[in-house]
Amino acid sequence: MENLEDNTTVFSTLRSLNNFISQRMEGTSGLATPESSQNTLHMQYQQRIQLEEQAGQIHSKSQLLQVEREKMQMELSHKRARIELEKAANTNARNYEHEADRNQELLTRIKQYQEREVEAENKLKEQIEMNKSYKKSMETMSKKLQEKESKLAEANETISMLEGRISELKWSLMNQEMQTASQESQREELMEQLDVQHKKWQEASQQVQTLQASQTLMAEYEQKIKDLEQKLSLQEQDAAIVKNMKAELARFPKMERELRQLREENVYFREMKENNGLLKEEVEGLQRKLERYEKVQASLVALELENEKLLGKLKSWEKLDQSTGLNIRSPDDFSKQIVALQQRELALKEQNTNITNSARILEKARQQLQEEVLRIQNQLLDEKKKREQHEALVRRLQKRVLLLTKERDGMRAILESYDSELTPSEHSPQLSRRMREAEEMVQKVHAHNTEMEAQLSQVVEEVGNQKQRADMLEAELKFLKSQTCTADQSLFVTQEEVNTLRLKIEELEAERGRLEEENKCLEMKLEKLTLQGDYDPSKTKVLHFSMNPASLAKQQRKEEQQQLQEECERLRELVRVLEGGGSISNNPEGVGSLQSPQEIAELKKQVESAELKNQRLKEVFQTKIQEFRKVCYTLTGYQIDITTENQYRLTSIYAEHQGDCLLFKASSSSGGKMQLLETEFSRTVRELIDLHLLHQDSIPAFLSAVTLDLFSRQTVA
Amino acid sequence: MAKQQSREQGITLRGSADIVAEFFSYGINSILYQRGIYPPETFTRAQQYGLTLLVTADPELQRYLCSVVDQLKDWLYKCSVQRLVVVISSIESNEVLERWQFDIECDKTAKDESAPRDKSQKAIQDEIRSVIRQITATVTFLPLLETSCAFDLLIYTDKDLVVPEKWEESGPQFIANSEEVRLRSFTTTIHKVNSIVAYKKDSFP
Repeated sequence: MENLEDNTTVFSTLRSLNNFISQRMEGTSGLATPESSQNTLHMQYQQRIQLEEQAGQIHSKSQLLQVEREKMQMELSHKRARIELEKAANTNARNYEHEADRNQELLTRIKQYQEREVEAENKLKEQIEMNKSYKKSMETMSKKLQEKESKLAEANETISMLEGRISELKWSLMNQEMQTASQESQREELMEQLDVQHKKWQEASQQVQTLQASQTLMAEYEQKIKDLEQKLSLQEQDAAIVKNMKAELARFPKMERELRQLREENVYFREMKENNGLLKEEVEGLQRKLERYEKVQASLVALELENEKLLGKLKSWEKLDQSTGLNIRSPDDFSKQIVALQQRELALKEQNTNITNSARILEKARQQLQEEVLRIQNQLLDEKKKREQHEALVRRLQKRVLLLTKERDGMRAILESYDSELTPSEHSPQLSRRMREAEEMVQKVHAHNTEMEAQLSQVVEEVGNQKQRADMLEAELKFLKSQTCTADQSLFVTQEEVNTLRLKIEELEAERGRLEEENKCLEMKLEKLTLQGDYDPSKTKVLHFSMNPASLAKQQRKEEQQQLQEECERLRELVRVLEGGGSISNNPEGVGSLQSPQEIAELKKQVESAELKNQRLKEVFQTKIQEFRKVCYTLTGYQIDITTENQYRLTSIYAEHQGDCLLFKASSSSGGKMQLLETEFSRTVRELIDLHLLHQDSIPAFLSAVTLDLFSRQTVA
Repeated sequence: MAKQQSREQGITLRGSADIVAEFFSYGINSILYQRGIYPPETFTRAQQYGLTLLVTADPELQRYLCSVVDQLKDWLYKCSVQRLVVVISSIESNEVLERWQFDIECDKTAKDESAPRDKSQKAIQDEIRSVIRQITATVTFLPLLETSCAFDLLIYTDKDLVVPEKWEESGPQFIANSEEVRLRSFTTTIHKVNSIVAYKKDSFP
């Protein structure tokens, strides 16, 4: 802090110095300005400026020096200040470090404190919560305390009350003690009285017992009396029965006689019945016989018809016999004939085959011959052609010969003309030569001619040979023809067979046609059958589901039928039993199986016992009803009888006349409402009716009034 | 319901067997309803082939038909069934009154792996529909069944077929004096079904 003040003093001195310098500068410039004038002035001004500049320079130099000095001083001071500042900085740094350490310490401590604070806060919170809970508990406690206090107050009150009551009770106790004392004395008195009473009671009970005994005795006696009365009535009834029985006994012998008669009749009827049965059987047998006979008759008629037919057939057979002239008397003969015919046919067939074979052979030979003839004829034709050729050749040659002779004649004429023209001597050798030559030539031609003629004759000869051969062949042909004729004759024989065979073939053809038709028909049928569901059993089989609906339905039906049959059988059995005995007719469950006689006897016994029971019950009821009626009569004074449905007749015990009675009618079947009907007696008690029935609407009151009225009348009388 | 074809076009052997078996199921139900073998109240309506058909609701009958049709489907697949016959007979007299015969022609060359035939499902269904319509229409000319009747299903199979359990061989159950009417037929190109109804001729013409 001290350093800081030093610095400020330095700065303040520096500032004051600067201020001083600036004031000096302003003072100098202010002094110069008023001394300036126009031109001289300007010079002066320049001089002055120069002077001033010089002065300024000097001044600035001095100032500089001063400033330098000051600077030195400043530097020195600055140095000093720096040193001081450094020192201060050092100290400050040290202080800072110190401070930093302290700061660290403090931070750590702060942290610690913060932690502590957090802890403390937590604790505080806990404490607060605890406090709250304590407060709550306190409150509850205080509430409880209040309650307790209130209870205590109540208790105190009750205590006080109780104390009051205790005192009261003490009082009452005292009183009660007093009372008990008095009561005990009373009790003793009462005990004494009780003993006395007890003795009295014992006596009374003894009396009561004796009374009861006497009553029971009375009841027994009454019962006995009733029994005796009943017996009496029974005996009376018995007496009546005995009388009846006696009368019946008187009738008995007559009845016995009748019985005997009836038995005889019965025997007679039984015999009749047996006879009847026998007769019926006989009749049935006869009917059967009759039916049989009728059938036999019908068959007889049929047989007669057949017989007639057969006779007709036989006749036709016989006719056949006549017409054919054969020895056919019976089918056997016919079959024999047929067999013979067949055998003959077979033989003929064999013959036929033989003949056909020979015919074939002959035919073959004939064909061969014909072929030969043809060949020969062909040869003949060839030969003829050759001959014709030869003849043509001959004609040609003859023509040539003619030509040659004419030529020769011409040549000779020419030669002669030449000869005549020429002198015979000059050309005679030549001519003669020519002549010779010509003659030679003629000779040659002649030779040729002869040769040709020879040839011709040869050919003619050959033709003759051929002709001869042809003749020969013709002869041969003729021979063969004759031979074929003979063969034809044999053929004629076979022809017939052939015809028969042809017929047979025709027959077979017809049969074939018929068979074809049949086949077609069968095919049609087959198609129809396939339409109807036929099949080839060799290739196909028919399957069906074993549990199919049809078989199930059939099975069901069968079972049903069986069941029904069984039931029918059972019912039939039952019917027979019923018809035979009739004993089971009592049994309502007769549908069931037949009961054994033991069972039946048992059931009968049961029925009897039930009936007996019923009888007894009836008797008991009768007696009870009688008793009840009597009691009613004695108690109410009226005897009540049921005259008709819903009508009751009341007869009073005190009735003056036997016929005095009152009639009541129940309006409904349950007997809820009763109506009084007018009788002779009721007219006499009109006032009572008006009073009790019309006004009071009470029948018992009316009846009582009537009773009282009648009673009073009787007693008065 | 029949298993639909895996492909829209073409019929395989299995598919064909399914279609034919389904047809029999509905056809038999229709016959039973139309001929009054079972009371009409035991039938419920079902839509099939674009028609409203009546199908039995009697559980026992359903079970029976189901087992028969399943077996039939197997045989159709093996091509060993030749004919199915619905025989209607009187319960009282055991007399056969009607035979509904369905001849089945199997193309035995068709195999499982062979190429599917080219016939559309719709065309087959149209054919089946006309057959079922005809079955319904036959009621107009068939004689009235006066007695109570039951039915049976006969299946004509190849001879060498092994008879399965619960099945047995049966007679053909012909009608003694019958008249036949051919109905329409349909084909899946593998199975061809010809329908015929035969009924007992009226004894009093």
